[in-house]
Amino acid sequence: MIFTNIIAVLMVSAFIALLVGKRFARTLPYIAAIGVLISFALLAHFASNHHDLFHQAMPLVSVPWISSLGIEYATFIDSLSFILVALTLILALVCILVSVSEISQYQNFYYFNLLAALAGIVGVFAAADLFLFFFFWEVMLLPMTALIAIWGHENRRYAAIKFFIFTQVSSLLMLVAIIVMAFIYQQQFGDISFNYFDWQQLNIAMPLQYWLMLGFFVAFAVKLPSFPFHTWLPDAHTQAPTAGSVLLAGVLLKTGAYGLMRFVLPLFEQAATHFAPVAIALGVISIVYGAVMAFAQTDFKRLVAYSSISHMGFITLALFSFSPIAYHGAIVTLVAHGLSSAALFAMAGMLYQRLHTRDLKKMGGLFASAPRMGGMLLAFVAGAFGMPGLLNFVGEFMTLTGTFTHHPIATAFAATAMIGSAIYGMYLFQQSFQGKPQENVKIPDLRAHEWLLCSLLFGLLLYLGLFPQALLMHFDSIYPSVADAQLIGGKL
Amino acid sequence: MIVEQFIAIAPQLLLSLAIVMQLLLIAFKRSQHSIAFFTVSAILLALFAHYPAMTNVNLAVTPLLYVDVFSLTINVLILSCSLVAVWVSYGYLRSAVECHDEYYVLLLLAVLGANILVLSNHFAAIFLGFELLSLSLVGMIGYLHLREHTLEAGFKYLILSATASSIMLLGMAFVYGATGDMSLAYQVPQQQDLQLLGQAGLVLIMVGFCFKLSLVPFHTWTPDVYQGAPMPVTLMLATVSKAAMFAIFVKFWLVSAIFNQDSMQFLLVCIAIASMLVGNLLALTQQNIKRLLAYSSIAHMGYLIIVLAIQSQQSVAWALKSGVFYILVYIIATLVIMIYLSGRSKAHAITDNDDWRGWQGLIWQRPLQGSCLILALLSLAGIPLTAGFIGKFYLFTVAIENQLWGAISALIIGSGIALYYYLSIIFCILAKPLETTSQTPIDKVGNFTVSHATVMGMLTVIIVALGLFPDILASQLIFQSEQVTIIFNEASQRF
Repeated sequence: MIFTNIIAVLMVSAFIALLVGKRFARTLPYIAAIGVLISFALLAHFASNHHDLFHQAMPLVSVPWISSLGIEYATFIDSLSFILVALTLILALVCILVSVSEISQYQNFYYFNLLAALAGIVGVFAAADLFLFFFFWEVMLLPMTALIAIWGHENRRYAAIKFFIFTQVSSLLMLVAIIVMAFIYQQQFGDISFNYFDWQQLNIAMPLQYWLMLGFFVAFAVKLPSFPFHTWLPDAHTQAPTAGSVLLAGVLLKTGAYGLMRFVLPLFEQAATHFAPVAIALGVISIVYGAVMAFAQTDFKRLVAYSSISHMGFITLALFSFSPIAYHGAIVTLVAHGLSSAALFAMAGMLYQRLHTRDLKKMGGLFASAPRMGGMLLAFVAGAFGMPGLLNFVGEFMTLTGTFTHHPIATAFAATAMIGSAIYGMYLFQQSFQGKPQENVKIPDLRAHEWLLCSLLFGLLLYLGLFPQALLMHFDSIYPSVADAQLIGGKL
Repeated sequence: MIVEQFIAIAPQLLLSLAIVMQLLLIAFKRSQHSIAFFTVSAILLALFAHYPAMTNVNLAVTPLLYVDVFSLTINVLILSCSLVAVWVSYGYLRSAVECHDEYYVLLLLAVLGANILVLSNHFAAIFLGFELLSLSLVGMIGYLHLREHTLEAGFKYLILSATASSIMLLGMAFVYGATGDMSLAYQVPQQQDLQLLGQAGLVLIMVGFCFKLSLVPFHTWTPDVYQGAPMPVTLMLATVSKAAMFAIFVKFWLVSAIFNQDSMQFLLVCIAIASMLVGNLLALTQQNIKRLLAYSSIAHMGYLIIVLAIQSQQSVAWALKSGVFYILVYIIATLVIMIYLSGRSKAHAITDNDDWRGWQGLIWQRPLQGSCLILALLSLAGIPLTAGFIGKFYLFTVAIENQLWGAISALIIGSGIALYYYLSIIFCILAKPLETTSQTPIDKVGNFTVSHATVMGMLTVIIVALGLFPDILASQLIFQSEQVTIIFNEASQRF
């Protein structure tokens, strides 16, 4: 019930925010924060009670929903979903903290959307029924789109429509694949079922399996985003309000990676093996392309957005190399990127509030007036380009080590991004905080809640970077799909 | 005729009686209020008369009509829609100086025509219902004769509808020539040289239905007529007429087992794909919400007729269930939008108040109405949480079960295009309100009352409820459609 409870808590606080918020606008951040903290407490309580159960998937609830099609409301938990939900809830706090001073219009509806999006995302990580998964997959989009479309920057409608159409069309492909899978299950086992655990027994012939895998892959590659499907991301990230960017970069992109890990690799092993060269090529292209494009940007948020494409390329690369080390590296990268990109977007939001611009050319020399902020930005940028000691380094290192044995050339190309990321990272920092100060630019330094937010994120990055085992211990027994991966990896 | 048969068609008999009574009432006392009240009670009576009729289904009433659960379901749907139509018409026409009592006679005639059409089991009945529906609709479309567009729309509909009817009549003649039988169950003639004639007849009849369902390439009348017609009549066109035509198209297709003929099947899929793409593409740039809904209805009917392209008798039950569910959901969402539009328009204004850019910021000024409209639009776009998604999901299952990959791709592409215009409207509703004071603000226009908002709210609740728990309705439908399958089997064996 744990995930259901979390979703319920989030939705209840969302509705409370919507209903009472108009009159008591000042209480809204507290309502939202209390909702998130209760969810977090529930999760922590559950985790401390079921310490050792996480290595295997543990079904939680299963209630018939649309019985004529065998659709159930079914959820489950394992290490992967546990970590991602925890990440989501941490970033939820960040979102609330950055929204406190930024949002002034329609606040009650804003917090409603924020909490509803969070509930949808938790649902995505929790669903064990593929119809339910699709349902949440779409439901999280609606409030997200509303966040961009109502509270975004100057070009928000365009960005919101683009974001929605990209994800919606690709997910319809996934829906078709899901229905085909259900029918195949019906042919092989008699009953129609959308259950993930049932589907693991399926045996699908090869050309069909390849097409089905593609249906899923496209949906997840759009969300990830991987190279040819990435064009929505810079627009959406740039135009979204700060909390929207944090949520998009921190968690929404992770749903794509989660889908690849959860569905594409375990359900379509054979097809995924066949597809691996293409996927790895796409991953490497994303890595290099994202880094190069990031360097060319003058917009703070756009730069970070392109760097996200680059970092997500590492995940595609790691997952499709079928090596256990790289697989672990992908998980670490997920968390690391979630924290560091969220931090960078939060920084962008703070700067925007002070300067009312995202243009790097109009910044410069801010270090003099805001040294703490500069120091934090430097730390997060260092995280993003893989400074040892922070979590990102661990993820990238493991990914590259893991992939090198089977794909040395791809790894060599991917490794160039380490240089690229250092270049764009330093460029970002120099343009904004170093150099000659613009005339009369004095900005206030970090406020208390901003200081709290930055140190929370930095503390996590540092702690996990020094002790990545805290994350990886959840995966130390052989992960099911890693077992397959080893098998397949041996064949390659 | 025995008693059961009278009970089975009691709703239609009641409606006919009510029409005569209406004429008497007009002769007796000309009052808009009383005739509207009378019409509503007549429709309610006809609705209640379905209870006894439900107990006695699968009954042929004369060779012309055949009462089964499928037809009864659609008829209930039609009567409910017309109830809404009468009620919004009353609000719409109330402000006019003239007394519009003949309007209600036309409305009831159209409903009767639609009902007969749905029940018909014979070409004669089809033609009767078809003409009764179209001719009364012509009168209603051109009703506000002082408006420029209205007359144009009326004439357009009259001429094109008459053409469609005559083409269909020719098709019926061809089929009769080939088989010597006018009943709906078409039997492929034994002689080789007659087969072509029969098939040509079937195609011509199909053209008639496609015209009324406004499928590509017979769609050109739709936007003009939707725009020109008074708002409540547009509502009738989009709901009553579409539901009736869909029902008779389904019966025509399934009772005659036309899905066994590959060439007809191919034709149908082509029409469906063309409708999805053309309808959505043309809707992209519309700023008039009526025109936009017209084009999107083309696309929706394209989605809908996928359910007819089934490969085997086993898929019939599921396809019927999906089809009925989809049209129901489509009608509810359309009703929400059109009720709002009717409430915001008046009969004696120069045009209806139908530019969706005027909805800017509606959600902040009128949160309830704004959110109803948004949910209805999301339902039309097929986004989860709303019933529209479940409808589309059912369509996908039918298409996949019958391996219609072309139609599936068109469905995906069409939905993608459609998102653009639905989202544009939604974002307009969500945008900051306009601050101009030169025009009267949107929430002061028309005869919008609390009851409009209430009905919109109720329909929206249904949309969300069906989106979350489709089984509360769908489980009922599956029972009925299984029966329908048996009926269709019997029917096709019997003749």
